[in-house]
Amino acid sequence: MFKHDRIKDILPELGAIAGPENVHTDEAEILMYSYDAGMARARPEAVVTVTAAAQVAPLLKLLYKAGIPFLPRLAGTNLSGGTIPLKGGVILNLSRLKKIRQIDTGARLALVEPGVVNLELQRALEPFGFFYAPDPASQKVSTIGGNIGENAGGPLCLKYGVTSDNVEKLEVVTPEGDVKTWSYKDPGPDLMSLMVGSEGTLGVVTHAWLKILPIPRHIKTASAAFTSLDDAMRAVTRVIGDGIVPRALEAMDRVSLDAALNGKTSPFPAGTEAVLIIELDGADAVKVKRDLEDVEKICAANACAAFKVAADEAERELLWAARKGAYPAMARLAPDVLVEDGVVPRPRLPEALKETREILSKYKLTAGLLFHAGDGNLHPNMIFDRRDIQEVKRVKKAGYEILKSCIKLGGTISGEHGIGVEKRVAMNWLYGRDELDFFRRIKAAFDPADLANPDKILPVAADARAEAAPESLADRAALSPQARALVDELRLRARSGERTAVTGLGTRLKADRIMQGAKSLDLRSLASRAVIDRENLTVRAEAGLELEELRRQLKDAGLNLELPDLKGSVGGLIAAKVFPDLRELLLGLEIVTADGTLLELGGRTVKNVAGYDAVKLFCGSMGAYGVILGATFAVSAGARRAQAAYQEPAAWDAFEPDDYHRRLKKALDPRNLLNPWLYRGENTP
Amino acid sequence: MSPNKQHEEENRETAGAETGYDEISSPSAHVPSEVNELFAPENSGRHLTNLLTDLGERNLYDAAVQCNRCGYCETSCPTYMLTGRETISARGRNQFMRMLLEGKARDSAAAAESLSTCLLCGACTSACYAKVPTPDIVLEGRRTLDGYGDNFFARAAVKTLLDAPALFGFWLKLAYLVKMTGLPRLAAKMGLYDFIGMPGLADAEGAVNKVPLRFAAEILRRDPALRPGGKTAANWAYFAACGPNYLLTEVALATVRVLRRHAGEGIFIENQCCGLLAHNYGRLEDAREFARRNILRYEELKAVFGDFPLVADCASCAAFMKSYEQLFTGDEVWRPRAKAFAAAVRDILELIPAESLSHAEPARLEAAGRITYHDSCRAAHGQGIRKEPRAALRKLAGKRYTELPESDWCCGGAGAFAFTQPELSARVLDRKLRNIASVQANTVVVGSTSCLVQINAGLKAAYPSAKAVHYSVLLDSLTSEGAKLPADNAKINL
Repeated sequence: MFKHDRIKDILPELGAIAGPENVHTDEAEILMYSYDAGMARARPEAVVTVTAAAQVAPLLKLLYKAGIPFLPRLAGTNLSGGTIPLKGGVILNLSRLKKIRQIDTGARLALVEPGVVNLELQRALEPFGFFYAPDPASQKVSTIGGNIGENAGGPLCLKYGVTSDNVEKLEVVTPEGDVKTWSYKDPGPDLMSLMVGSEGTLGVVTHAWLKILPIPRHIKTASAAFTSLDDAMRAVTRVIGDGIVPRALEAMDRVSLDAALNGKTSPFPAGTEAVLIIELDGADAVKVKRDLEDVEKICAANACAAFKVAADEAERELLWAARKGAYPAMARLAPDVLVEDGVVPRPRLPEALKETREILSKYKLTAGLLFHAGDGNLHPNMIFDRRDIQEVKRVKKAGYEILKSCIKLGGTISGEHGIGVEKRVAMNWLYGRDELDFFRRIKAAFDPADLANPDKILPVAADARAEAAPESLADRAALSPQARALVDELRLRARSGERTAVTGLGTRLKADRIMQGAKSLDLRSLASRAVIDRENLTVRAEAGLELEELRRQLKDAGLNLELPDLKGSVGGLIAAKVFPDLRELLLGLEIVTADGTLLELGGRTVKNVAGYDAVKLFCGSMGAYGVILGATFAVSAGARRAQAAYQEPAAWDAFEPDDYHRRLKKALDPRNLLNPWLYRGENTP
Repeated sequence: MSPNKQHEEENRETAGAETGYDEISSPSAHVPSEVNELFAPENSGRHLTNLLTDLGERNLYDAAVQCNRCGYCETSCPTYMLTGRETISARGRNQFMRMLLEGKARDSAAAAESLSTCLLCGACTSACYAKVPTPDIVLEGRRTLDGYGDNFFARAAVKTLLDAPALFGFWLKLAYLVKMTGLPRLAAKMGLYDFIGMPGLADAEGAVNKVPLRFAAEILRRDPALRPGGKTAANWAYFAACGPNYLLTEVALATVRVLRRHAGEGIFIENQCCGLLAHNYGRLEDAREFARRNILRYEELKAVFGDFPLVADCASCAAFMKSYEQLFTGDEVWRPRAKAFAAAVRDILELIPAESLSHAEPARLEAAGRITYHDSCRAAHGQGIRKEPRAALRKLAGKRYTELPESDWCCGGAGAFAFTQPELSARVLDRKLRNIASVQANTVVVGSTSCLVQINAGLKAAYPSAKAVHYSVLLDSLTSEGAKLPADNAKINL
């Protein structure tokens, strides 16, 4: 089959939808859409510049009918090869969709098209006294659509969460051309959050409703210079551990700093090896000031050489210009740069740093080290010249070793840059076969013809496992005997085809809803003591643990779960999604599926964009996609924040499945064994 | 291999790679000139051998390769912002040139649209941390595209300007006469506007209703105070750029008056064209010849007067002359001389220190209304001049000076651009006009001929309460004893 022909066949139709002048198949256009900011290359067969959001659905219908792959693309600043058309096909250039359609300060929402540049949105919000929290360093060029595709972070996500925490609702065109509008607050499994970070492999976002926040009245920015990067990392761990929540806590090493300063006189003392940028905000000037003093004390206790509070806006901007310019400034040192994006639990940063440095020196590489230190997210920017094949190989190997070291330290392989094609193979090291298989089912449910940005995120046959798969959840001691018993029970039921009613503690689920013939699965036994990681500020709790009990255990450790006072169990809280903003605290889940497969999703880091965001998919899943065995939450130190009174929605289970909910159900529980009444119809005998 | 097959190959090769890294190219196998005949040795004289980049001297390939595709320049590229196409963007052009040099793209004609839509504004270089000189790189691609400026008109015009400036002047006046008879289209067809870098003139009929029949050089030559003969000292030398010389004589005369008033006595250098036109038309050897003649003239005067600033009042010329060294990187004899020349060049925009100025009389300011400043690309991006003219204007106009949003967004004039890409140029201009209107400015101060003509043509049609004025003309009108800003906009233009 000649690829050119398949495009030629539909050229008139493409032109009819998008306008013939917006469809390009000439050599120059093809070449100039064969790269992004990463290393991978592949040529598309056509580039269609979309000029109206309404064109996307008919275009996707057409491509689906013709069986031609497609890939939505915006600014092309992707760092993991996500916007490279590995199977050719059509690039949908959405850059022209850049209208800010609505700014609603009352509802605190902005409705934008995907091509709106992040910084342009910030500028549009500023006169109203609002901001949009995700602020990737690339915000000057990167777009909201791209930010959603990659689940972008940025310095401010330490306090305000990553993109997926700041999206309210999305309009999505599915690979088959259906237009859907999904919000994370909709009853049922959270399809919206699944789209965030899916790198264009599940559909194309055409409109986004974003959460906007009032600009805090007081913002204080300080820099702290250290003569050792390790000291700086220790200070970071202390700051967070003491319950101070800076809006940003960034670190850069000397190489990054020198590149960003670009010959300008350094404002830091001689011998500075690392600089922290600490920014605090709040409505209460006294508290901000007090926190800042505490931060200064902590820095001083960790051998800080100079601590300086930015005197004015100009000084503050200078600090941020240095931080945000540190990656692009690497371009001065060499023609190419590979940005790694590993994440480790924050207290492990010094170890991760040590290993990263050893790896860099082993491969004789120069790198500027940048950290979203508060998040445990490392960006070694390794410089090289891609014309030097040997050097490219060394950089590649070093990158992979750094990722492996992050995995070993309990972290993950991408915090905000995505998997794309360049980290596909590393998915094998992070996840077991079952998790990968689970992700593949999600992909197939959304994109059965495999047309949406194919061969991304999930390893393909060529990405053979170089080593043994990680120990599966079942083999790990983490699972309690009670949990094991439950898994065995489910496996037995699966074998005999017996239906199960996942009832949890029975807090919310009304008995009359339960379908006849579904055998109840009580999770009361899953209530062992929560595992608290005081330093990392996370807690892992079993699903049957009552929230009140969890809260009590946390309180004893001086920690809080920043949730309203809700009743019921940990698992019920997630499965019923009575408090949708729970998404901001939920980091990881352990799941057993209908056939008894164990899955470990998410992790212990606050940032994680490796694979689909299935953790959020289970929010509101009501037990029908799998049984939640345990969950990991982010907790806070210090005094508990005031929680607004929260009225649990009475009709929490008023759930009419979308056809994509049904598809997922079919993919994850084909025999409709779990809570079968929720998906009556085709699956019900 | 058929192109289709090639696609498949490439796709498969990339997709099949262990991680998707591109391992198609290898450095040793891609010495550019061996790969692409467009840059073959016989054409080497027709290309700049080396570029003088912010990171040091680099050959074209290495200069292009320094772009690591971070994309941070994209939002500064006016043509990308308007089209949303990578193909019409700074990074795209740069990457295409790289692929051309590597032989992955065979023919610069394939990227004709991409290369010819570049405004050469240099905003990308300003935004770039490595200061990759994309305009210079694009120009090297364009040279091949334009057949090295070998077409009849380009050759005839440049050669006439070079070897018979008097004849050029004669032709130009003839064209002006034709224009005055109401046949500007004919003048455009004669190609004469192209030579002075303002083909847009033919379209900007409204803005151009008076043309000079005496060129600035002719007037200045007759001024005994400006003659070098008999003098032993000169505080400055005026370099008459083609725009002010041939078209906007008012600007040239205003510059000289401003210089006299603020810098004492000086001389008129009796220069040749700076060579930018020949350079941008692809005729590199001619550009070098223009440069050599100007350098010789400068050296003659330097022997008499010692060091002096060589002042030009068109940012495009000033920027080009400051880069003369780049024309001679392979020439041991001329390189140091070009470097010394370049070091003496000053744009009038950067010359007058704000401290030497005082607040202008209210009546004079009244005529100017609300004043704002447009960063001419070759001043802001080409020479890094941003602060000096603003400081001067603030000192002179105080609160009447207001900042222009997106002041360094190109006006779309860009030499021949308004003529070769009228549609895109109009869209680039449109955004400029909106910004001018957004601050309700009356006087838009500019530093280059092309901007002056382009912005005035736009304002006349869309926002007539504002006019574009050359920096020298405004300074002259605000500081001199007699001259006031003429009420009639047209008189300033021409």
